[in-house]
Amino acid sequence: MKNVKNAKSANYLQINHEIRKMLAEEGVILKSSSEAYEELEWIHEYLEQKPEEGYFVWVKKQIGYPISTCIAISSPKIYQKPRNLIIVENGIKAEIYSICNAVKLTLYGKHEGRTTVILKENSSLKIKHFHKWGPEDNVLSSTEFILEKGATLSSSYKCLSPLKKLRVESKTLLDSNSSANFETAVLAKNEDAELFDSLFLNGDKSSGIVKLRMVSQENSKILSHSKVAATGAGRGHIDCMGLLLSDGSIINSVPELLNQNKNAVLTHEASIGRISEDELNYLRSRGLTEDESTNMIITGFLGETITYVQHSKLTKS
Amino acid sequence: MFKTKNLSVKVNGEDVLKNVSLKIGEGEVHALLGPNASGKSTLAYAIMGLPEYRVTRGGILFKGNDITHLPIEERAKLGIALAFQNPPSVKGAKLSLLLKRISKQQSALNLKDFPLDYSLLEREVNVGFSGGERKLSEIMQIISMKPTFVILDEIDAGLDIINLDKLMRIIQDKLIDNGVSLLAITHRGDILQFLEPDVAHVMLHGEIVCSSKDWRKPWKTILRFGYEKCEECKERELSSD
Repeated sequence: MKNVKNAKSANYLQINHEIRKMLAEEGVILKSSSEAYEELEWIHEYLEQKPEEGYFVWVKKQIGYPISTCIAISSPKIYQKPRNLIIVENGIKAEIYSICNAVKLTLYGKHEGRTTVILKENSSLKIKHFHKWGPEDNVLSSTEFILEKGATLSSSYKCLSPLKKLRVESKTLLDSNSSANFETAVLAKNEDAELFDSLFLNGDKSSGIVKLRMVSQENSKILSHSKVAATGAGRGHIDCMGLLLSDGSIINSVPELLNQNKNAVLTHEASIGRISEDELNYLRSRGLTEDESTNMIITGFLGETITYVQHSKLTKS
Repeated sequence: MFKTKNLSVKVNGEDVLKNVSLKIGEGEVHALLGPNASGKSTLAYAIMGLPEYRVTRGGILFKGNDITHLPIEERAKLGIALAFQNPPSVKGAKLSLLLKRISKQQSALNLKDFPLDYSLLEREVNVGFSGGERKLSEIMQIISMKPTFVILDEIDAGLDIINLDKLMRIIQDKLIDNGVSLLAITHRGDILQFLEPDVAHVMLHGEIVCSSKDWRKPWKTILRFGYEKCEECKERELSSD
């Protein structure tokens, strides 16, 4: 599989441990991360050892199409450990849609994904990451973002299908004038979910926002720990909101602000509660059933409409 | 068509409506006048079936069915619709999506009929809507429901005369001209001249104290002397049965 000239998109598709599709238009280098590790010595700085699986995306020139990656499990009891590396070069704007999923509900799969994202000076990346797993799957997703001066990151992560255990970690290092905006939405049902975000505002005029939306139902437990630490004169904000839909479910939201610079401003807001009766009754007065109304409120709360549209587009492509 | 009989309603343990009897025929337009906190909106919510508005006496009949204890959505499906005075925001849900959900399959709306900035459809329901946008959104939702009985709760509140005129034309065209029965709640009475109601009722302290087939009569009294005069009025025309 090679980089293809005149291709109108860049796609990576891995099923179980096998790469099924890998093509990219000019300007993007797309390889398996193990191949990249062997060919490009300079990336050893970011990859501690030769990966077993996963992708390497290097956006070298401006491209007009989003890059899409999909790592799926289709057979029972697969244990995936993709190690991914994404690099966006100086001043380049890129967009990535990334899906990790199980194609059936009862595959008892395990997915441990680790990704490092390097945004060079003044580059920009919009990354939308969707997870869709089965109720018996165990998933760990860990991402490190390194933003150089003036880089901009917009990252959204959504996992709206219930699984057994979910742990999502992100660590973001921000140099001066860089900004990172995180939106995370998790719908947990009979699930144990842990969400850890940490932002380090190391440079002056850096900024970071963490926006978490969590819905916990049917004996689910969600623990979120969001940290913003400033050594540079930056601005950081954590916004956590949770809906608790049933007795026996738990949401434990822990925001942490660590300020070591008198010119930095760090804030947080958080609320965990139930669905508003006013909203529910309003929608019911329009002829929607209680379930339809509840779904619409949760959908809106999690921003699922966007996910659904994007997911349909991706599935089609 | 629609009837409340000796309807008494409690809200948070407090008696708000007392023996309210109201009868609205098919295609009739009724106005319900009254000062702030007289119980007008409570009547609207009780008719719609909002849970905290508890009927303690009497009942509500619609098209011959006793709907006093029906869930909200069942009343809506039977053809009752309420334009809320202060509708809540539904964050994340776009107005276009709500309209689609209401209409189920075939939309009753022709968007060209509305003085609409189309970007409103892509905004979250009632989030940051201006007063005029909120009223327009309410009317669009209600028309989507294809109702046969509509309650307009202070639809004229906060609207300038031009927007009120536009909205009234839509109400005339899409609801009244299609034989929909209306109960228009207002305390300022701006909409009376537009609607020319068949009957005007006055509500004070949770009771209907006057019902007149000539809306100008009570309205002139109210304009001249205020609602207080209705309490001592000797010409009350209680016509409800």
